[in-house]
Amino acid sequence: MKLPLSWLRELVDLDLDVDDLTAVMSLSGLEVEDVTRPGAGASGIRTARVLHWEPHPDADTLRLVRVTGEGGDGEVEVVCGASNFDVGDVVVHALPGGFVPGVTGPDGGKGLTLEARRIRGVTSQGMIASAKELEVGDDHTGILVLDPDTPLGAPLDELIPVGDPVIEIAVQADRGDHLSILGVARDLAAILDTGWRVPQVPADPDGASVPVTLRTAACSAFHTWTLDDVHIGGSPLWLRQRLAQCGMRPIDVAVDVTNLVMLELGQPLHAFDLDRVRGPALTVREADGPEHLTTLDGQRRELVAGDLVIDDAERAVSLAGVMGGGDTEVSASTRRILLEGAVWEPTTIRATSRRLGLTSEASNRFERGVDPQGAGRAVARAAGLLQDLAGARPTGGGAALTEPEPDWAGRPTVTLDTTRVRRTLALDLSDADQVGLLERAGATVTATDVGTLSVTPPSWRRDLRRPADLTEEIIRLHGYDQVPEVMPALPTTGGLTAAQQLERDARQLALAAGFHEAKTRPFVGDDAIDGLVPSDGRVRLANPLAQDAAAMRPSLIEGLLQAVRHNHGQGRPGIALAELGRCFRPVQDPLAAALDAVVGDGWRWTDPEGQPIPVQPQVLALAAQGLKLGDGWLDVETRWSVTDLIDVFDRVARHLSPPDDDAWKLTRVPIERDGYHPGRSASLRLRGQEIGVVGQLHPEEADRRDLPEPVVVGELLLEPFLAAVPADGHPPIQARTLVRHPAMTVDVALVADESVAYATLEQAVRDGAGSLLDELWWFDEYRGAQVGEGRRSVAMRLRLQDPDRQLTDEDAERTIASIGEVAGAIGATLRR
Amino acid sequence: MNDLDALQRDALAAIEAAEHLDDLDEVRVRFTGKRSDLTAIQKGMRDLEPEERKARGQALNAFREAFQAAFDARYEQLQGAALRERLEAERLDLTLPPRRVPPGRPHLLTQVEQEMLDVFIGMGFRVAEGPEAESGSYNFDLLNIEPDHPARQEMDTIYVDGFDDVVLRTHTSPVQSRVMTTSEPPIAVVCPGRTYRADAVDATHSPVFSQIEGLYVAEDVHMAHLRGTLLAFARAMFGADREIRLRPSFFPFTEPSAEVDVSFDGPGGNHGWLEILGAGMVDPNVLTFCGIDPDRYSGFAFGIGIERVAMLRHQVRDIRELFEADARFLARF
Repeated sequence: MKLPLSWLRELVDLDLDVDDLTAVMSLSGLEVEDVTRPGAGASGIRTARVLHWEPHPDADTLRLVRVTGEGGDGEVEVVCGASNFDVGDVVVHALPGGFVPGVTGPDGGKGLTLEARRIRGVTSQGMIASAKELEVGDDHTGILVLDPDTPLGAPLDELIPVGDPVIEIAVQADRGDHLSILGVARDLAAILDTGWRVPQVPADPDGASVPVTLRTAACSAFHTWTLDDVHIGGSPLWLRQRLAQCGMRPIDVAVDVTNLVMLELGQPLHAFDLDRVRGPALTVREADGPEHLTTLDGQRRELVAGDLVIDDAERAVSLAGVMGGGDTEVSASTRRILLEGAVWEPTTIRATSRRLGLTSEASNRFERGVDPQGAGRAVARAAGLLQDLAGARPTGGGAALTEPEPDWAGRPTVTLDTTRVRRTLALDLSDADQVGLLERAGATVTATDVGTLSVTPPSWRRDLRRPADLTEEIIRLHGYDQVPEVMPALPTTGGLTAAQQLERDARQLALAAGFHEAKTRPFVGDDAIDGLVPSDGRVRLANPLAQDAAAMRPSLIEGLLQAVRHNHGQGRPGIALAELGRCFRPVQDPLAAALDAVVGDGWRWTDPEGQPIPVQPQVLALAAQGLKLGDGWLDVETRWSVTDLIDVFDRVARHLSPPDDDAWKLTRVPIERDGYHPGRSASLRLRGQEIGVVGQLHPEEADRRDLPEPVVVGELLLEPFLAAVPADGHPPIQARTLVRHPAMTVDVALVADESVAYATLEQAVRDGAGSLLDELWWFDEYRGAQVGEGRRSVAMRLRLQDPDRQLTDEDAERTIASIGEVAGAIGATLRR
Repeated sequence: MNDLDALQRDALAAIEAAEHLDDLDEVRVRFTGKRSDLTAIQKGMRDLEPEERKARGQALNAFREAFQAAFDARYEQLQGAALRERLEAERLDLTLPPRRVPPGRPHLLTQVEQEMLDVFIGMGFRVAEGPEAESGSYNFDLLNIEPDHPARQEMDTIYVDGFDDVVLRTHTSPVQSRVMTTSEPPIAVVCPGRTYRADAVDATHSPVFSQIEGLYVAEDVHMAHLRGTLLAFARAMFGADREIRLRPSFFPFTEPSAEVDVSFDGPGGNHGWLEILGAGMVDPNVLTFCGIDPDRYSGFAFGIGIERVAMLRHQVRDIRELFEADARFLARF
């Protein structure tokens, strides 16, 4: 809402300058967004009459104009590009040396100082200005033509307050009363404890207006005036300036007056051409089914049951509270006007406005709630202005009221416990203090009992309905800065849960391996690469911001790959990124099924009725590409590999699992999946279910993304681990007795077909070595003539020990023989 | 005798001439080994007369002593030289950056979030989390945001397809409604997480951002508690000399409601206030909707934008930098 300071001053006593005023407003719930001074700096501009004009001899679109001189007499010649004027018109003339604020200067800055200038061979003494050039409107289709009675030679700032500060505030959703000059003036009076007033309005006319029938409780009051002898012309300069200051355009005097009164008093009004209203009689009703109305903007609107319409004797003529109808619109030939000001139920107006996608200055105010007692005054105010500005003659007035007053329009009396107010605010505000503050807000207050107030809010304060609302009003007017600062002694023990701590640890484990943490936007299009447990299931958005962001990510990998691509594009030789966040799947999805199998119950979120909402487990994802690099060092030998990712996921799984429980170990099963290298990708499984994936991008996929190979990606669901963490954390790790007898080191190598996985070979060695085995490391992989085509040899070093005795060479021989036997069973042989 | 003198002269000269420990060892073998002249001389002693043998023995001892002394001295010299040579060869340029992939950095938003959470944890708050695709009931209804209230329209909600009423949560307050509907006061939680608005991406807007919301509900919680808590927070995050300022505002879920500013001292003695969060006393309707008796309990709540705090504190000028994962940005913090 834009508030011209000069207008505010008419309705409230203010002795603050604009800076002090805006400071007070911001601290009192009137959030100031901007202060502008349209027209500021204008000088050397005055009124003049057009004495003569003729076409410019050398330019078709220009006129040579002679206007009255500086003192209102004499003659000055000006070249003008407009054609919307004639001899006798009063115009605004900016003299050489004058400053025109709305013209762009030669340096591109705002405003231009005029000089006498030759235009196509004729010297122009200044310019004749448009509304836009003067910043009293945005019209630039022609020059500003004033009322013919305007005195000549009058400086512009004697006619209107040029450069008047306009304060723009953000209106809170519950403060519809701030959508008017009067509303803000009243609130400023409450804040500053000063006086305010409403504009003078004429008394109701003697005659009757048109008959009005209310058939719905969604209208609490419907006020009308009828006016004769109206001359529809342009509005005076002061009115146009006010509209422009508030961001509205002048149309004609009838529309401008209704808009002015809406801005001033907050009550939207509508002017009908009375001669086009059939009957003339009006009925207010709810639409009872599909029907149509062409609104002022020329759109044919389909109305449904519940919309509010105003009928004349034959048809719908207005979409109540939102927009008038085209058939009864005021035009230049209108002579008789029916002015209407009504009070509509906010929720009904909002529903219609939303359904039609049609918001207007009127609907914006009605849906926030107008003063239910203010409509009559507003209609009278507009009628008075039309008397002054358009020669109108009131012929009748009337009001139709819904009785008893509907609940939505009422302002219920609130019982306030003053002790509770003091306790909530931690302030020793006496009962009298509280009464005083509430009365400043316009409420009627009576003390009904010790410590109990009966408070009736003013009609314009729809937001004051409960004790909490009054408490806020009391502290708002008393000053939020009066509330002391007390550190509460919380009766709770703070801290992270064991699962939250482990989640932080998981991130740290990924970072420790050299991955930077990324945060990507979790939206994807249709061509995202599959991640763990791929499915077509998507959590789609009803109103996505873009088509390539139409669904929530089913996997974190696509986002990380795009981040990898960004870094490659910046010329980085290598990048490793980690992200910890949620992926999103429908309620029924293979991923959800996998979690059901691994976690059991209790991991799904539901709504309050227990209905499932989309599945959104926590995922740790990794992506890396290119060379490994350090601080000032580039490893041109080593590229990021899928094994780097496996290492992180294994560490995370181990750290998040109960200690020493092999059931929580991830198994890696080779997979072939779209977009992935068929020989370098694996499913990460827990108890047979896929809960993660790692892989190198398929060369074609890397190429499609314009990324040099290798590109490695992976992700792991953290949910199975986090869900299993007891509230007090996993049991503490128990110490193991350290064997004091010397250990023995034995190397073995197994030769087997390539198809036999290392995991199988390792298991054979473990089974064969039995209880003597303490630790095992693989250290060599060999392919070549010595082992034969299609076969490989894997060497492992074993650390053997026995808690009770020192081992001998015989133990080593027996162990190796035993390994040989087990290996034979899986088609592997010992290589010695 | 002459032969021994000559031998000693030769031996000492050979020791002196040895350039390496290997040469020296060779000298030792040549002059004192099994096949050396010395061994031959020793063997010849048994043919001598006792008198002569004694003198010969003394001469031999003198030779041995002289040889050993010269050998030891030369050995020490050569060994020292060899060690010096090795050390010289092993010299490293320790100004070379280490050949090591250093740990990655947590995202700036993670760092700021954890720092903020830890401030509140220190006060006694627990951390609660909830889903990002959230039921409209938790996101709106239980928080006193009526379906057709303008406040709900202003939230620029992104809706999820295929559900009656599931949205991308517009704030992390639905976590508070989840906590309140499932536990009894006293409740003191902070709720971090991602939130969403249908905002197009530009330097100051992002459709996804993150918040920490706080909630304290117990008996006799008042507005001074809110102020005290937020002042302690502002000082922990921005500096011990900061002040806070509360400005009246409107949120459907709090009454009274406030925007909270923190003071700053800019360059050139430029004092001012920066808006950092919204807060207020929990609206009694919210307590009632969540099954908590508003006559017995009261509470305060606040919501802080993590991006905003991070950007203010670290002078990040474009919010997009937080989400494009540029390594130069990530490694910086």
